[in-house]
Amino acid sequence: MRRVGRVGTLLVALLLAAGAASASAAVSDKVVSTQWLAEHLDDPNVRIIEVSVNPGVYERGHIPGAVNYVWHTDLVEPYVRDIVSPERFEALARAAGINNDTTVVFYGDNSNWFAAWGAWVFNYYGVKDVRLLDGGRAKWEAEGRELTVRQPSHPPGNFTIEKTNPHLRVFLSDVLEVVTTGADVDILDIRSPAEYEGRIFAPEGVQELSIRAGHIPGAVNVPWNLAVNEDGTFKSVEELRELYASVGIDGSRPIIVYCRIGERSSHSWFVLSQILGYEVAQYDGSWTEWGNAVGVPITNLAGTVWGAR
Amino acid sequence: MPVRELYQGQHPLTPPPSDPLVGSGRRVGGNYGAIVALSAGLLAAVAGVAWWLHNVPGLGAEASMSLLIGAAFGIIMQRGRFCFFCIFRDLIEGKNSGPFYALLSALAMGSVLYVVVFGAFLPNPATGRLPPDAHIGPVSWVLVMAGVAFGLGMALSGACVSGHLYRLGEGYSRAPIALLGTLVGFGLGFMTWRPFYLSSISTAPVLWLPHYLGYGGALALQLVLLGLLALALMRYLPPGKGQGVEDGRPGTVGDSPPDARENPQDSGRDVRQGSREHGLQSHGGEKVTLASVWQRVFQRRWPPGITGAAVGVLGAVAYLRVAPLGVTSQIGSIARTLMTEWNLLEGRLNGLDSFSGCVTRVIHTISNNGLLISALVVGSLAMALVSGRFELTRLTWRNATTALAGGILMGWGSMLALGCTVGTLLSGTMALAVSGWVFFGAVFTGVWAGIKLRLHRI
Repeated sequence: MRRVGRVGTLLVALLLAAGAASASAAVSDKVVSTQWLAEHLDDPNVRIIEVSVNPGVYERGHIPGAVNYVWHTDLVEPYVRDIVSPERFEALARAAGINNDTTVVFYGDNSNWFAAWGAWVFNYYGVKDVRLLDGGRAKWEAEGRELTVRQPSHPPGNFTIEKTNPHLRVFLSDVLEVVTTGADVDILDIRSPAEYEGRIFAPEGVQELSIRAGHIPGAVNVPWNLAVNEDGTFKSVEELRELYASVGIDGSRPIIVYCRIGERSSHSWFVLSQILGYEVAQYDGSWTEWGNAVGVPITNLAGTVWGAR
Repeated sequence: MPVRELYQGQHPLTPPPSDPLVGSGRRVGGNYGAIVALSAGLLAAVAGVAWWLHNVPGLGAEASMSLLIGAAFGIIMQRGRFCFFCIFRDLIEGKNSGPFYALLSALAMGSVLYVVVFGAFLPNPATGRLPPDAHIGPVSWVLVMAGVAFGLGMALSGACVSGHLYRLGEGYSRAPIALLGTLVGFGLGFMTWRPFYLSSISTAPVLWLPHYLGYGGALALQLVLLGLLALALMRYLPPGKGQGVEDGRPGTVGDSPPDARENPQDSGRDVRQGSREHGLQSHGGEKVTLASVWQRVFQRRWPPGITGAAVGVLGAVAYLRVAPLGVTSQIGSIARTLMTEWNLLEGRLNGLDSFSGCVTRVIHTISNNGLLISALVVGSLAMALVSGRFELTRLTWRNATTALAGGILMGWGSMLALGCTVGTLLSGTMALAVSGWVFFGAVFTGVWAGIKLRLHRI
């Protein structure tokens, strides 16, 4: 009886220790915990960047020292549908005080969607150490951690693009080639099942920008949010492996991810490439391009016919 | 029986019988203590809900702050009679600029504090970016037209949208009718938005003074303009012994819009009181007692300068913590949601959702703005009770019809102007937006025309 009690105590202690470890340790070295970030606020080699969707979120209180990037102007080109140009990217990074050896930590609202977009763009331009705050802004806030409205001032950095990583990005023609030749590539649609099946053109409240509804032929569907726990933190590596393996994605073949405009798929791109270490490219043209392109096949499981009401 | 008749002369905090503010001798018995307790209970209820909301996931601090800001706005508006229509009418009809200084004070205080907030939100105003969600709108003839319509609606219905909200708390029975009209007006606004957007708003400049002058320059210009207005209006300040009453009709409850009789009298009273009675500042020798402080805070109208400063501080606090002050967002959203559901409106309106202002959305819940205006009514009600201003006014077919028509004009105007006297005039001008000043001028013109046409006497 006493023995059982002791074993029980030991088990409880082990469980507690495991729980504590999972609470503080991050799922990958590309993911930092809120605790880690709190301890590195004054680290001159760590630069924190907030990319939030809603205006005024950063301004009304951000993590001390964090720099604000506006996704729809800073991280894209305004007059070409494209990610930010190399010249503007260098200027942007330098203004934030980023050097080639700076650790850049992204976080944002809306489950880190656009923070992940920022991380993808930074990886594309070859920034070496790019990480994401586990649980994003919501977790930092929920833990009652420090926020400030003061603007950061960092000495300008000297970041220079050494090499871009074009393999992180694919275009319509690349995806079309995969679809038509049946190349050994997994295509992952990370939108909601209703969008994937073609029952709807866009999520509730979002502009319907495409002429066709459905998905890229051959694509499998794992909604982005299945990769995170209720508090927005990433699931464990084992859980994530299982999740994607359940639709046949195990990293043995290159992967293409897409969504509607490329923001939610940045999140899944991050999970698959930065946490699981798979070879993943993002098709940021996504459904707003594919569903509008002429002569491109789609799969529509719902039988939605465009134009008929 | 009007509540004011419940006030009892025996309570230690009850004003002396000579005070004309409470019921001109019509006070008969009742229990003032119970009324004070009821008011305190109302405010405590708002605070309690705010405390509870603070911990509700998905609502949190912003919802809680919205509630508190709303209650504070209601308290300030009721205690200072911060009613745009009354302020304008006292000047136009009563040749009394006294209350107008509340507005100037609000804009001056608000501008200074807005610049402090802007400095943190957007350190460099020259980049071409605008500070997040500040009410800086497109400047076009549509804005002028909307402002004039809004002003006419104010004259017709007896108050602006915020005025009706706080006077709802005073038992003003035309207020709900006017607010219903505002809802209808918003619907008409959505239906007529497209041609105005295409012909004018889509290409109208969004002018923000700091973009051209920097924060310092823009603030200096703003304060000079406000100072010049203050200087020009000095000649309309009533002479010392309370001669500011032009409309001295007896305070009977009748068919005429109550505001037409109440407010000039009020301002007259206050002026009289200020000069004859012991002001804290003017008569330093007067003994300050609990009763005199109680009177000043809870029974007499707050001085315009203090009322305005409080509004200015509140405006900046609201912008810093939640969003610029505005009172039409929830009303407009209800209209938009209903119309979308009745298939009168498509989900998208050209360009509408790309502007900052009192934004409307298709929603099925109460927004932060809804919490704000609800708390505003409660805050005003609590103060109306304590100050003896709560009185259910009589509704007639005639004054209900004018309230409805005025409300429709105001709803239409504030839809096209992306806000009302609070959202576009106050929050816009405080934000150093040209659209705020343009709307200010247009609304004033509309009220002026409305009064000259005697719309407020219909």
